[in-house]
Amino acid sequence: MADREERDLRPGMSRRRFLKTSAMAGCTALVASQLEFIHGVLARVEAAELTEMEAYELLRVDRNLHTACLNCNTGCGLKVKIIDGVIAKIDGNPYSPFTLHPHLSMAASPFKTPKVDGAICAKGQSAHQGAYDPYRIRKVLKRAGKRGEGKWISVPFQQAIDEIVNGGQLFHHVPGEEKRQVTGLKELYAMRDPQLFREMADDVTLIRSKKMTVAEFKLKHAADLHLLIDPNHPDFGPKNNQFIHCWGRIKGGRSDFARRFTDAFGTVNTHGNTTVCQGSLAFACKAMSEQYAGNGFADGRTFYWQADQEYAEYILFVGANLFEANFGPPNRTPRMTERLATGKLKVTVVDPRFTRLAAKAQRWVPIKPGTDAAFAMGMTRWILENKRFDATYLANANKAGATKDQEPTWSNASWLVKIDADGRPGAFLRASEIGLKPKEVRAGRDGKQYDFEYLVALRDGEPVAFDPNDTRLRVRGELFVDMVLKGEHGPVRVKSSLQLMLEESRKRTLAEYAAICGIEPGVIEAVAREFTSHGKKACVEIHRGAVQHTNGFYAASALMNLNLLVGNFDWKGGMIAPSTFNYDGSSNDRQPYSLKKHTPHTGTPFGLSVIRHGATYEESTLFAGYPAKRNWWPLSADVYQEILPSIAEAYPYPIKALFSYMGSPSYALPAGDKGIAALTDLERVPLYFASDITIGSTSMYADYVFPDLHFLERWEFQGSHPNMPLKVQPVRHPLIVSPNEVVKVFGEDQPISFETLWLALAEKLGLSGFGTEGFGPGLDLKTPEQFYWRLVANLAYDGREPVADAGHEEVGLFFDGHRHLPRSVMRIEQAGDLETIQLSKAIHILNRGGRFDPPEAAYDGDYAANRYGRLINLYQEKTALVKDAFTGKSFHGLPGYHPVADTLDRKPAALAKGYHLQLISQKDVRMTNSRTISNQYLSELVPENTLVVNAADGRRLGLKNGERVKVVSASNPRGEWDLGNGVKKPIVGRVQLSEGIRPGVVTFSHGHGLWATGATDMVIDGILIKGDPRRAGGVNANASMWLDPHLKNTCMLDKVGGSVSFYDTQVRLVKV
Amino acid sequence: MEKDILIVMQEDLERALQKRAEDRRWAMLIDTRKCVGCHACTIGCVSENKLPPKLYYRPVYEYERGKFPRVKRSWLPRPCMQCDRPPCVGACPVKGPDGATWKESKGIGSGIVPINYARCIGCGKCVTACPYQARTMDDGSFHTVGTPQLQGYEALSAFEYGRRLERKDKGLPVGKARKCHFCIHRLANGMLPQCITTCIGRAGYFGDESDPGSLIAQVKKGHKVQVLKKKLGTEPRVYYIADEKLEVIHG
Repeated sequence: MADREERDLRPGMSRRRFLKTSAMAGCTALVASQLEFIHGVLARVEAAELTEMEAYELLRVDRNLHTACLNCNTGCGLKVKIIDGVIAKIDGNPYSPFTLHPHLSMAASPFKTPKVDGAICAKGQSAHQGAYDPYRIRKVLKRAGKRGEGKWISVPFQQAIDEIVNGGQLFHHVPGEEKRQVTGLKELYAMRDPQLFREMADDVTLIRSKKMTVAEFKLKHAADLHLLIDPNHPDFGPKNNQFIHCWGRIKGGRSDFARRFTDAFGTVNTHGNTTVCQGSLAFACKAMSEQYAGNGFADGRTFYWQADQEYAEYILFVGANLFEANFGPPNRTPRMTERLATGKLKVTVVDPRFTRLAAKAQRWVPIKPGTDAAFAMGMTRWILENKRFDATYLANANKAGATKDQEPTWSNASWLVKIDADGRPGAFLRASEIGLKPKEVRAGRDGKQYDFEYLVALRDGEPVAFDPNDTRLRVRGELFVDMVLKGEHGPVRVKSSLQLMLEESRKRTLAEYAAICGIEPGVIEAVAREFTSHGKKACVEIHRGAVQHTNGFYAASALMNLNLLVGNFDWKGGMIAPSTFNYDGSSNDRQPYSLKKHTPHTGTPFGLSVIRHGATYEESTLFAGYPAKRNWWPLSADVYQEILPSIAEAYPYPIKALFSYMGSPSYALPAGDKGIAALTDLERVPLYFASDITIGSTSMYADYVFPDLHFLERWEFQGSHPNMPLKVQPVRHPLIVSPNEVVKVFGEDQPISFETLWLALAEKLGLSGFGTEGFGPGLDLKTPEQFYWRLVANLAYDGREPVADAGHEEVGLFFDGHRHLPRSVMRIEQAGDLETIQLSKAIHILNRGGRFDPPEAAYDGDYAANRYGRLINLYQEKTALVKDAFTGKSFHGLPGYHPVADTLDRKPAALAKGYHLQLISQKDVRMTNSRTISNQYLSELVPENTLVVNAADGRRLGLKNGERVKVVSASNPRGEWDLGNGVKKPIVGRVQLSEGIRPGVVTFSHGHGLWATGATDMVIDGILIKGDPRRAGGVNANASMWLDPHLKNTCMLDKVGGSVSFYDTQVRLVKV
Repeated sequence: MEKDILIVMQEDLERALQKRAEDRRWAMLIDTRKCVGCHACTIGCVSENKLPPKLYYRPVYEYERGKFPRVKRSWLPRPCMQCDRPPCVGACPVKGPDGATWKESKGIGSGIVPINYARCIGCGKCVTACPYQARTMDDGSFHTVGTPQLQGYEALSAFEYGRRLERKDKGLPVGKARKCHFCIHRLANGMLPQCITTCIGRAGYFGDESDPGSLIAQVKKGHKVQVLKKKLGTEPRVYYIADEKLEVIHG
């Protein structure tokens, strides 16, 4: 609990300070709110109602604080009800469009809203149990035994920071490590001169493009070669890159804080989790959103589109688990259920499981997992051959054409693609190549000149040059083109993108596609007909189910391309893109604390990342023919499954220190047990520290675990999701006192947190960008609060108009509501740089749990108000120009159906032999991945998950309901998790027989089968802490999933889009 | 732009609270077509009423029927039916004007079947008498029992029946029968029952069904509604809209 004196002193001081600087005067909000409350009571007494009912303290206005959930990644608004500093209850935030629909406008006074609760799911209802988890750690724990052994000692925070920075024989107390020397961060912070960073980075670029040799580089930089990881491979970059930071869930603000450190430190190795979720969807949409600039494509957004579920008339959901997950149940469900019940919205669900969504759908297509692209190509063929596409939309080759037709977006369907001698499509034809129009030299916004090449479409049989972004000259092209043009260097065979799509779709008949999908013939046609019967108000939405396969990128592209055929993007009831209010200050000049303008003067990190993303194999100094040892990822990033196996193989280089935050790759990834093998390898991972709120299933292998704050105790900017038509920015801020030890960093008391850890490391290393004037001139950065108040102020000033001032009473309300927080958390004086008016606006936002546009701002006539509004690629030139690092063949610019295969394109027949059930998995609305097990209301409701198989399979295999079975596969024939600490946890769960799953498929839900997070015993400072067996209930079958036969230590994966393969493994269920 | 039905029903509630108790008729209606089985109501209720482990006022049952691929799946939230002829009341041995459980006819809770924990002797007869399994004995346990530390939020008082009850140290209602009470304490303050406000499918309706302008009255009028175990003559105040005959599945 907070120090008594601090609690009493702080709010009073702060409020006085504020009032002193405020222009207004008058009674404080506390008085007003109490009067209001008492007035209500009196009215009830007069009405002769039950007076004792007024004891409902949760209704008091100063008891209600607003934030955003982080049980799953949706970020629904929470209204947190607090009594004496303890959370008594959580409901939905009525200001958030995720929990009330339509939500209350921000203009509504928080004094009027306490009795309005929004709706949240069971995870949100139990969110405080994560904060009040008896297994939370409060002090820094240092490993006292072998990695993963579960023996810890608590150490002073500063000692841990000293050791991590300086290195040394840190584990001499552990048998076998007496003499092991650990490299500290100080030594890895090798290159520091910004000028040198720049020069070397430029020369590495020259090496990559073969304009400089390694020998020339070494000669030029002879004096500084010792700063590199390997002078013979300058493209690896400096030693700074040997520090790796990875995470499972990080959102705005926190990500900027971490980035500030890693940029100043000079490492490129900062990796997230995207590919364990839906990476191939996000990176397929990145490829579709690449914009033509100059002579190539750039600026693709890592994001995706989702259906505007509230106004669509028809939605085809493919592997999209609405009502269980998918951003998120409290948000999407109320926008659909009434319309589903009354038939105004029709839904088809393509999924091997009869999901909660399928239960409400008009049609369920129980497809064979991994064949979604075949379904898409069948639909494509039918739509093209039956002319059910929007020809007007597709003909527009540029922005001018789209604008003329009142289309917010346009495609490259009519652009001409060059076909090589083997008939393979490659790059788009440039007008200069056929002497149609020469290239131009243009000046960019930054003043730099660049070459611009015109593209070509066919009009009335003649090629026409065009600029895709031209706003004046409208160019409409013919849709189906296959011809030979006269080129500067001989004849050029060209086809239009749509022609390529038609040809790709014609590789199989509809009957053949249906057979691949394992569905009745006729279904594809029926679905295609329905999809093309609703104009722009029909959508194809996809998620994990379609893309977490080895062919996920092409599946995502093929399915998303269906939306282009009806041209539904940015239309009300069509496909929409996410929209958020900006908090980093890069949106306009009114925003007072731009992070861009307040960047520390440091070098810009360069070199290959340890997962080799954003780089091609052919350009690297490691190129040694095909196949590459591991994959290269020019089209994707945040390839979660690459991190630990790459480190284990020291490919491309060995690392020295690893820092993980809020993630559990060993639990959450397919074949996650192989990640454990990397973490327990002292040579490959010499130093590993983690920030976590408990000893988790990955942080249990760390050398040091630093306690973090629970999301109800800290700041963050949640962002939004594509299905949300409104512009939003939910904000977290501290609502309750953290149990963590309070430490001094930069002379300031603060509970240990993720940010505090970075601050302390920065202080010890002398990193610029932190400490006294670390944020900028006159602006310190010594505490998290200093950083986040400024970002909230930025948020307040985004948009056409800044948010309103909180006003006198609301400011008082803010202080009253947070009076239980100590100085070390909610120090308003640390927002001291904020001018009074900025502070007032920031409080206006925090009192509402974020910034949200009013309900009426979602649409502009027949269109989404927040538009994507650019080119969308039907044919992906950038993808077509990338070579597969394993085979040397080009990737496909036009997506099609490619059967499940390993990295060398071999069908996994040998792995499948003798294993007759296809293993898939799903989310359950009552759990997320590894963190909701501490919400005991949930784990008591669902003590175990099950292995669900079709009843017919049950009869065939002699399996009974409730029977315990082990999941075995060719990659894991013993059916166990090797926890690397001597424990082998059997992959055993109970059978559930169901008619609601395709025969031949078995599924389990994520969130159970844990071995840490309080599930097992551990020893801290010699004291045995007993685990809670309730937390170990159920099964996690990730470790049964196939290993790629070529990579051997990594799951099967999609080598184009990065996704892990979650749903391709064949298993057997063995009775226990 | 239409209002969220949560707001509409809250406005209905404000209107109902202006009426005399005897002119009001609280009722609940659940449209199972809109229920997605998320259990937000179940857990929201547990948290609101500080219920111990394995004690649910508002369980949700799942039913799967048919044969692959023609399958049906539905969910049935089942709170206390607040019967007009409640078998539990008859089974309670603590009778009289100061009995342990009764059909309330006065005040905010008029129409609800409450329990006076102070009078309940914990005999459990009502538990077996209820044909809907809506009553459960409070065994005094806590969720964080068996962990390193019992957590403070569990010791906070609930506000059931507008009283502050603290279960720690075996205080009331430990050892007593417990059941859904339509969140009388929230009704008194112009708030809907917890299960209704946190329904993400907006499948739940609540209000004064004697007010023809209320949403619940209108929805009830516009649909064929069902009650559970009609033949028992318990006359439930909880109605259902469903695509199927609930009697067949839940009878």
